[in-house]
Amino acid sequence: MAVKVKYVERPQLTNRERILFIDFIKGMGITIKNFFRKTITTAYPFEKLTPPIRFRGTHAHRVKDGKEPPSFKVLERFMDIQEGESRCVGCYMCQQACPVPELFNIQTTQTEDGKKKVIRFDMNLLNCMYCGLCTEACPVDCLIMTDIYETASYHRAGTVIHMEDMTKRAVDFDTRRGNEPDRIWIDDEQRSKLWGQIKWS
Amino acid sequence: MDLLGTAIFLAIKSLIFIMGMFLGAAYLTLLERKFAGHVQQRPGPLHVGPHGFLQPIADALKVLTKEDLVPDNVDKVLFYLASLMAFVPAIMILAVVPFGEPFTIFGIEIQPYISDLNVGLLLALAFGSISIYGVIFAGWASNSKYPMIGGLRKAAVLIGYEVALGFALAGPIMMAGSFSLREIVEAQQGMWFIIPNILAFVVVVFCVLAETGRTPFDVQEAEAELVGGYVTEYTGMKFGLFPLAEWYIATFVLSAITVILFFGGWQPLPLLGWLPIPEFLWFFIKVFLLFMFFLWVHWTLPRYRVDQITEMAWKVMLPLALANILIVAVWIIIFG
Repeated sequence: MAVKVKYVERPQLTNRERILFIDFIKGMGITIKNFFRKTITTAYPFEKLTPPIRFRGTHAHRVKDGKEPPSFKVLERFMDIQEGESRCVGCYMCQQACPVPELFNIQTTQTEDGKKKVIRFDMNLLNCMYCGLCTEACPVDCLIMTDIYETASYHRAGTVIHMEDMTKRAVDFDTRRGNEPDRIWIDDEQRSKLWGQIKWS
Repeated sequence: MDLLGTAIFLAIKSLIFIMGMFLGAAYLTLLERKFAGHVQQRPGPLHVGPHGFLQPIADALKVLTKEDLVPDNVDKVLFYLASLMAFVPAIMILAVVPFGEPFTIFGIEIQPYISDLNVGLLLALAFGSISIYGVIFAGWASNSKYPMIGGLRKAAVLIGYEVALGFALAGPIMMAGSFSLREIVEAQQGMWFIIPNILAFVVVVFCVLAETGRTPFDVQEAEAELVGGYVTEYTGMKFGLFPLAEWYIATFVLSAITVILFFGGWQPLPLLGWLPIPEFLWFFIKVFLLFMFFLWVHWTLPRYRVDQITEMAWKVMLPLALANILIVAVWIIIFG
């Protein structure tokens, strides 16, 4: 069967439009209308917007605080994790899900009583594309993404995040925005009523 | 001795005009950036000084202290000459632009113009045409394909619009009976020349946009297709002179000439003659309004193709200019 092709005539200008430059005048009307509108920019270093809760910013590790999902309860028996430490179980699922797996540097070891302990969890964020697949893969709801987007650093080593600062970031994130309904975006009024203006840096 | 005095006096006056134009052009950049910003709903320069008021000075310092690279394979003489060639004639047009009637302060008669040539308009046209060579030389001397294309495009555009501009200026000259810009203004005491010359004004607006490379006709730099057009190989102050000459000084000076030809120069706006505003201020108000109109057009319209531009020059603008000459001739026969 032949492909049906529909030809559409290009709308031609009428003589009135052509002589009096009607479309020029219409366009200039739009620009002058915009000229008198308020600017919509954010004066960035002085004024910072709060991203929505689903924002995919710098990664963080949730800690063991009694709010773990049931899957963690199963694995907990085999792990050497104290209260307030990262609840990472070293399953490497995040690395498996990652499109750029070499950005992870995860090392686990066996303690003397036969339990598993995560001794290193580094992420080189220079290679990260912030797709969020690692957070979806995490079976114990440990690896999350926060609303922090200021990741610049003076040297490359500064962009590598480690387990200690990731746990701190998650605690900070949960205290700030833990009670917030899971929505894509929240209008300004409600946003400022909920958590106000945040000064991160 | 008398000759020496005149020479020194003229030199000082020229220097004042040139410095004024430099400072004016610097602040016209700020004006344009603010205007462009607000058209796009952003504030423009904001942080250097109150509301970015000192931004032009910071820009000038930056451009002057930048490294000035000259590529290896360029034609050195033309490469250096081109930026001056674009800049100097544009500012030379100021020599014949009158800013008002001669007036007297402290018993000294001051003429707010450098010279009142009886062929002032011809000289302005000639300098306007010479400054085009800067762009064409820049394109040729850079020894690179994008500048070359930009320069050739500018040449193609300008061949058409210089002809139309020359014919369009014939109307006011016929009505005033003089090439002197001051006498043209004096001839507009009763009625501005815009009345019978409306077609010529349309042509002149398009020609000014084409000559200064503002948007509907900015094919010679066309940043999306030609990198930067003829300025691609330029750096530092040599680069800075091109936009300064084309976008600011040339636009300002050509706006001034358009105001002189069609809007009665330094004569007050109709119905506002009772306001206590001096003559040269009226002139600057009109030039400012026209300049803002050009900015407005620039930041509204997208770019024409080169073939559309040349087609419009030869098929629309030239016949319009010729029709204007006919209308003005009939007008002069009927009304004297």
